[in-house]
Amino acid sequence: MRIEHLSIKSVTIAIFVMIGAVAMVLSLLAGSFFRESALDAQMSSLSRVLEVATQEMQQGIRGHSFDLGMKLAHSRALVEAFSTASESGNDGKLVALLDDPFISGFVGFSEINLVKLRVYSPDLEFVGESSVGIQGTRQALPGYLANLIRNRGRDDRLKGVDALWLSSQGPLHSAVIPLGGLRPVGYLEVVVDPAFNLKDIAAITRTPVSIYAMSDELLSTVNSGNDSEYLPVEYVLFTPDSVPAFRIVGLEDIALLSDEMARIKTVTITGFLMLAFATLLLALWLFSRFMLSPVSAMVRNMRAMAQGNLDMAVDNRALREFHELSDAFNTMASQMRMRTNDLERLLDLDDSAILCFDRDREMVYCNRSAATLFGYSGDEISDLDFTDLFVDDVAVLTARLEGTAGRRREDKLHEVLTCRHKDGYEFRCDSVINAIDVMGQSGHAIALNTVAGDDEIMSSQSEQRLDAVEQSLTSLLEFARSNPSLMLGLGNLGELSDVDPTGGVDKGTVREQVVSVMNLALACWERELGKSKLDLAEESRIWPVYIDKSTPTTRTLDKYLSLENCTKNPRSKRVVDTAEFVLRHLPDENSAACEGLRRALDEFRLLLAGVKAKSRQPEG
Amino acid sequence: MRFFFSLLLLVHVAVSADDKPFAPESIDGVRIVTAEEAIELILDNPGMPIIDSRKKTEYVKGHIEGAESLLDTEMTEADLEAIVPERHTTILFYCNGIRCLRSSNAIVKVKEWGYTNLVWFRGGWKEWNNKLLPVVTD
Repeated sequence: MRIEHLSIKSVTIAIFVMIGAVAMVLSLLAGSFFRESALDAQMSSLSRVLEVATQEMQQGIRGHSFDLGMKLAHSRALVEAFSTASESGNDGKLVALLDDPFISGFVGFSEINLVKLRVYSPDLEFVGESSVGIQGTRQALPGYLANLIRNRGRDDRLKGVDALWLSSQGPLHSAVIPLGGLRPVGYLEVVVDPAFNLKDIAAITRTPVSIYAMSDELLSTVNSGNDSEYLPVEYVLFTPDSVPAFRIVGLEDIALLSDEMARIKTVTITGFLMLAFATLLLALWLFSRFMLSPVSAMVRNMRAMAQGNLDMAVDNRALREFHELSDAFNTMASQMRMRTNDLERLLDLDDSAILCFDRDREMVYCNRSAATLFGYSGDEISDLDFTDLFVDDVAVLTARLEGTAGRRREDKLHEVLTCRHKDGYEFRCDSVINAIDVMGQSGHAIALNTVAGDDEIMSSQSEQRLDAVEQSLTSLLEFARSNPSLMLGLGNLGELSDVDPTGGVDKGTVREQVVSVMNLALACWERELGKSKLDLAEESRIWPVYIDKSTPTTRTLDKYLSLENCTKNPRSKRVVDTAEFVLRHLPDENSAACEGLRRALDEFRLLLAGVKAKSRQPEG
Repeated sequence: MRFFFSLLLLVHVAVSADDKPFAPESIDGVRIVTAEEAIELILDNPGMPIIDSRKKTEYVKGHIEGAESLLDTEMTEADLEAIVPERHTTILFYCNGIRCLRSSNAIVKVKEWGYTNLVWFRGGWKEWNNKLLPVVTD
């Protein structure tokens, strides 16, 4: 597509539509990313909650384990039994004492799952264990705890230690307390199964939680049981020596979040789109107010000026660049107007009658001397052609110039032409006929001077004057060539639509309608009022009355009654005025003839409106 | 909403905690020890009197091995003399921790009674328990 075919408005709208589309896509993408980010944040949050809940669960195990351990470690009976077992190897009493919490219970019995009690020597040698509880585990302190105890300093030797560790039976939690209080004789290990407490995580997090062993065996599950939308979040619980012990899968209920996100997304996108649309409208209004409207007005004014209306000026109330452009155009138009006026004045001042005809041999320009010479007013003479003005067949003379350059001096024709005055008498004039360019087409300019005597040769002085006139006319026509309707301003020849209709079809249709309306008007005039065509011309003063051989005629009006004779550019205003004049004078406004004329006039007006609207459309 | 109330509760607890006074940083003529130092002192001085200035109910739930329960407000010179007849004997005092004033109050009273060799475990039961040191429960 060529750039000249694009208007500022369409380009502006296209740009804004593109911006709007991109903004809409970006907002949708942003909404999607926003949701992903929110879900990630939710998962991260739940993961952290699971971690804290797990730590709290371990804290509970530790608290109960140490409570039991501290109580047993200060038991004099246990210390004595331990000493006995260590010294003599008789651990019967020791085992009985270690079995007692399993049988008799203890404070917090229901809070933890005690699986074993073991005692060790100060050197961490295994001394004995409860016969009740888990079986099959290695009879030794877990390696991590043993190393911790062996490697700690003197200040820490009486402190209890605990850790999660991985036994052959699965993950277990051990708390090791010095046996014997401040003067320990050995160590007591309280072994607890932490899986028993894992369900507490669900109570703490208040979310459905499933606990899996690292072998993927499901150890515990707490589900909410409803149909909510869940997002699984995994947290792995490690032992202190970084061995994975449990896999905890929390299910985050994101139904509420999803609903909220959907709502926020809808509100955000809707709001964004509304805002974008409002901004778009505002921007378009601003563009229209400050750019498109001023430019349209400028274009309209420029076009009107280009069509010959040089008296008007382009509105320069616009943005700076357009303001400067309008000023420049106005300056140019002003200069053109001045020069045109000068040329027109120059031609009007000349004594020679100057007439300019187009290719169809219809007059497009005549100076004041020409109208005076032939006795017509400016308006009347504009409807005439060769045959109306000249007795000689000028068409034959001009045909001799066809095909020549027309502009060269040797291509001029010097003839004595017999002319016809408005009043009917004939007179002779010296003439110079030039082939010239009229509105891009071949035309002819004829300069006339009355003959002082028959067959008198034109003096060299007259010829020089005609040459000067021809140059002025050529300059004037040069303007007209680039601006055809400029001719209208010179010759007052009628409306643009009459001179430059948009196409052959419309032009022909207009001519047909002109002839139809004129015939209907004349028929009504004659039938309803009983008056003649001449009466119509005289009373209406719309059509000139000529005197041919002492007989009044209506040559111009006659042309409008026949399609063959009708001018190619009929004066539509005259036709409308004539029809309205007849309608005004008809005695019966409701008669069939009157109705027919009114209908034909309406159709003609519609046709003219269509033609004019079409002629105002930009080219391309 | 629940988060809001939790936050309010936390703020309230924090403000309340701030309102609760701290035990003095030091008391003239009194040695302050940590839990580890207290253990060494206990182990080096078998039979050294240890006074638990907390309430009896707290004492019953758990106390340092060998400690005697004497609530600071109820402690009389006669009560202490029954446990520590000699004024120059080393005595270890403790209560719940640095936000507890009972042991410091008790020490002030005891100083007035003429006891000269006083040791204050300022961190008290909270520090002892946090370090998972051996405790005695009745």
